[in-house]
Amino acid sequence: MARFILQRLMAALVTIWIATIAVTILIHLVPGDPVRIMYGSFQTTPEELEAIRVRLGLDQPIWRQYLMYLGRLLHGDFGNSIVGDQPVIDILMTRFPSTLALTLSSLFIAVVVGMSLGFLAAYKRGTWVDVSAMVLAIVGVSMPHFWLGLLLLFLFALQLQWLPVAGGDWRSLILPALTLGLANAAVLARLTRSAMIDIFDQDFVRTAHAKGLPKSIVLYRHALRSGLVPVVSMLGLQFAYLMGGAIVVENVFAWNGVGRLAIEAVFARDYPLIQGFILFFAIIVALASVVIDVAYAFLDPRIRYS
Amino acid sequence: MEIRLLRDVWRPPVLGAALAGTMALGGACATAQELVWARYGDIDSLDPHRATSTLSMQVWDQIYDTLLAFDMDGNPQPNLASGNEASEDGLVYTFTLNEGIMCHDGTPFDANDVKFTIDRAFGDTPSLTKTSWGPISDVTVVDDLTVQVTLESKFGAFLPFLADSFSSMVCDTNTADTFGSSTAIGSGPFKLVEWVKGDEIVLDANPDFKNFGKPVENAGPPMFDRLIVRTVPEPQTRLAALRTGEVQIAEPPFDDIEAIKSEGELDIVVADNTGQNVFWEFTISRPPFDDIRARQAVAYATDAQMAIDIIYGGLSQREWCPIARGVFGNDQEFCKQFGYEYNPEKAMELLAEMGFGPDNPLETTMFVWTGGNRHKLAEIFQAQLAQVGIKAAIEIMDIGTMNARVKEQNESPDDPSPGTFDMMTWSWYDPDILYQLWHSPGAYSGFQTPELDAMLEETRTTIEPEARLEKVQAVIQYLMENAAHVGLYTPGWEWVFAVRPEVEGFKIGPFLHPIFLDVTLEEG
Amino acid sequence: MVHGTTAELADDLATNGSARSRGFWRALLASPSGMIGLAIVGLLVFSALAAPLLAPFDPLRMAAGPRLDPPSAAHWMGTDDFGRDVLSRIIYGARLTLQIGVIAVGISLTCGLLLGLVAGYSSGWTERILMRLVDVLFSFTEIVIALACLAIFGVGLTNAMIAIGIASIPFYARVTHSVVLVEKGKPYFEAAIAAGAGHGRLIFLHLLPNVIPTLIVIGTLGVSTAVLAAAGLSFLGLGAQPPQPEWGFMLSSSRDLISRAPWMMIFPGLAIAITVLGFNLLGDGVREALDPRQRQR
Repeated sequence: MARFILQRLMAALVTIWIATIAVTILIHLVPGDPVRIMYGSFQTTPEELEAIRVRLGLDQPIWRQYLMYLGRLLHGDFGNSIVGDQPVIDILMTRFPSTLALTLSSLFIAVVVGMSLGFLAAYKRGTWVDVSAMVLAIVGVSMPHFWLGLLLLFLFALQLQWLPVAGGDWRSLILPALTLGLANAAVLARLTRSAMIDIFDQDFVRTAHAKGLPKSIVLYRHALRSGLVPVVSMLGLQFAYLMGGAIVVENVFAWNGVGRLAIEAVFARDYPLIQGFILFFAIIVALASVVIDVAYAFLDPRIRYS
Repeated sequence: MEIRLLRDVWRPPVLGAALAGTMALGGACATAQELVWARYGDIDSLDPHRATSTLSMQVWDQIYDTLLAFDMDGNPQPNLASGNEASEDGLVYTFTLNEGIMCHDGTPFDANDVKFTIDRAFGDTPSLTKTSWGPISDVTVVDDLTVQVTLESKFGAFLPFLADSFSSMVCDTNTADTFGSSTAIGSGPFKLVEWVKGDEIVLDANPDFKNFGKPVENAGPPMFDRLIVRTVPEPQTRLAALRTGEVQIAEPPFDDIEAIKSEGELDIVVADNTGQNVFWEFTISRPPFDDIRARQAVAYATDAQMAIDIIYGGLSQREWCPIARGVFGNDQEFCKQFGYEYNPEKAMELLAEMGFGPDNPLETTMFVWTGGNRHKLAEIFQAQLAQVGIKAAIEIMDIGTMNARVKEQNESPDDPSPGTFDMMTWSWYDPDILYQLWHSPGAYSGFQTPELDAMLEETRTTIEPEARLEKVQAVIQYLMENAAHVGLYTPGWEWVFAVRPEVEGFKIGPFLHPIFLDVTLEEG
Repeated sequence: MVHGTTAELADDLATNGSARSRGFWRALLASPSGMIGLAIVGLLVFSALAAPLLAPFDPLRMAAGPRLDPPSAAHWMGTDDFGRDVLSRIIYGARLTLQIGVIAVGISLTCGLLLGLVAGYSSGWTERILMRLVDVLFSFTEIVIALACLAIFGVGLTNAMIAIGIASIPFYARVTHSVVLVEKGKPYFEAAIAAGAGHGRLIFLHLLPNVIPTLIVIGTLGVSTAVLAAAGLSFLGLGAQPPQPEWGFMLSSSRDLISRAPWMMIFPGLAIAITVLGFNLLGDGVREALDPRQRQR
């Protein structure tokens, strides 16, 4: 097991390492002189720009820049933002808890709603329950989150005034989490259904049935556990999608997370912040996938050796 | 009055201001009084040298104070400085500070703090608005309450600058790395408790505050305990929060203002004398706008009155001058003579002369910054320009980005793509803004001529008002005749507030400085 | 940005992609999802092509009616805050939507196919490095890659299309790669190698034809993803710019007016949802038609 975890960790490190290269290259792909693009606001003189260039090492060859960047990263220094000149890592860290809260609560909603719907559909395969669950799921998959969000906002916050709108307390998490959770529940419902159908069709479940075991025991002991395996294997990806989806949803609800920050940074062409965000995102997603892979390996020991 | 006296007498050494306030109030009020002010965006920095946005400036107003302060007519009056004296040659200014002013950390505010602030503005990482301080060559501490500032040359806009938030006095104890991002020590009416980035800035009343010059009645500390400045980007959400009472003051959605007024539940407060000017400027360094006819065509094709009537419904006015109403030198009649009244035929004629026509439209890009429904206004302008054969793409960006992009455009004369133009906005208290924008090298490296440089220098060195007016108006005429700076409307951003009925006494000083000193919150 | 429908199919398709049915169209029309999907997509294409005939007004014309006029006989979907006809804008918007789908999927399909083929065919270190890179990019998620691209190129609808196209390349590369691996393991492929077939012949005659059915399916589903992603970027202000009648952008301009003029929010949202649904159903239908095993489920 230790070897497996180590192996997954190494893979995550490779991902993060590639991300560091990608963000270093990013600023050089922007047409024009990076220093002028980033720091050339009004009233900056050419001398000041030169000073910044030297201070940030942007006058060095790109490989040196990369090494310098890596060196700073290892000290936890992600650079300073252009807007307000503040440490990027501080800005990201103050906003990240909000994003994590949103992502985890929508993951919870997605898993509970999606898996029950999918399980129910598989169990009642071919009946109207199955058909309506799957119609619901495909409509859910097709619905833009931001539209669902606006509809919920319009209905519950503006018309009915059931929920606070201006942030501040946990109740303002309800609508964004529902929006993001429901959109992803649809995906999980489809996944769970097809996984469960495969299981129901397998011999061991049929045999258990034939042996006359009570249905609930068959379901619980055999089908559910094996059916969960492929679904759990998708959770890592789901988490990444939720993190990505959070970018849009945070903007709909003005949720104060890293996603809203990222969009603000793109508008402000705050490249150090954009670089920091991409790297941060890669690190979070890579670590989350390690955690989920390990959980998956506990659930299904076969995976460790493949 | 009685309450204030109690506070002054009974001040617990450790407990915070909020607690002190409530305890002094005794049984009259059980909980701390909070006022939530919601705005569309966050500040960029708590450090007045590291940002230029109005959003930032309005928060500095609460945390810091300035040597002078504007009265309601926009004239600088004594504030932290009880008096100032200029030497005969106009190069040395001596300021006397009021006694007993305290910084939020308990240290007295004195001449060293003034020196610290100015030295910092000219230091290694100078203030973003360094040039607006003027040609300062030296700051000398004469004694604790006297400070002397020496200029290299005469500077007519020096005193008004010292009343503006960009000259906020920063206490000399702000030496930590965290200054600007999580700490800020000033001597203003509120002290910083916390800045949760992107979310809210929490400020507590400063019980030691003394108001010497701000144009309100209250001479002491604020009369409520806590001011929370919250970011709520969506106008509809702000309105909903105002209605439920989560928020007390906010900018409402423009399209709902009529309805709000007729309902009568919320007050609409409109700032006067904002100093804001929204104008066209062009990339003059390359085609098509290197040709004056192209610039004039844009000016003639723009019906600003129609656009602001649709989008702001009477809350904004047509502005003919390159500087806003209420600013020294603004004169609508004078400016209108050189202005470009809406005249699409004239625009088409000019374009035809240049060889453009219906089959060969002039193609360009219009930059606009986010917020205040400006993108909608731009969309109307875009449609107006299309009618005369100017095909303008719109690019919407953050104001900081726009500042950088405009400069970048001006500095790229060889770029093969057509030059851009932009809806630039500046809020300034003095015609000196024209110097900062157009005197070479200029804020954006834009339109510059040696002639204009000489004229602008005279607006700085001429102090006597009547003579200065003449110099300023000469510049205005020059800029307008060259269609380099074409005024559109005023005001243009963050000047409309919807206020809940329990808030009394909310006032907006000139140049959009909100003042909370007279504010009282009714229970319930 | 939800790649769920496509993601869940990837492995499934990899094993079954080569199945081809003679009665493809018959099978497609026989499945309810295929038929509904085809009808929706047909309607979209029709409105895109016939927009000038269908739209009652010029989509850019301001003051075509009163401002913020609710739906009525004159303006079926009401007017926006410039007095433009919302229905006409939605109809013209179909053009942009179709364009987004075709360009974005075109980019990701072509590049993904190429990468996947090269990686799958070459094997060894080339394969390992390429696929490792693809996996890493894949884990970044599309929206983050698209954001990075927009940060580089600048905002705008064309850039957004390209960004979305680039962002999806890893997904298409992955699918192609896995199909190629399956095909390479089949006896006919080994026979072809034994018969001395050259690289070109192996790739173009044997691998490519077997990869294409799978790519048709994920390409169709991919259009829905691309449309959703582009609408999302436009909604955030990073895609379409005024006055383009792009649906996501229309939704974003409805936000200030959500209680004054809910129709400005409802109709563009519906248009996006129905279009995405159409491509999802069509994709499902095509998959069922290509793969009889799926149909039995």
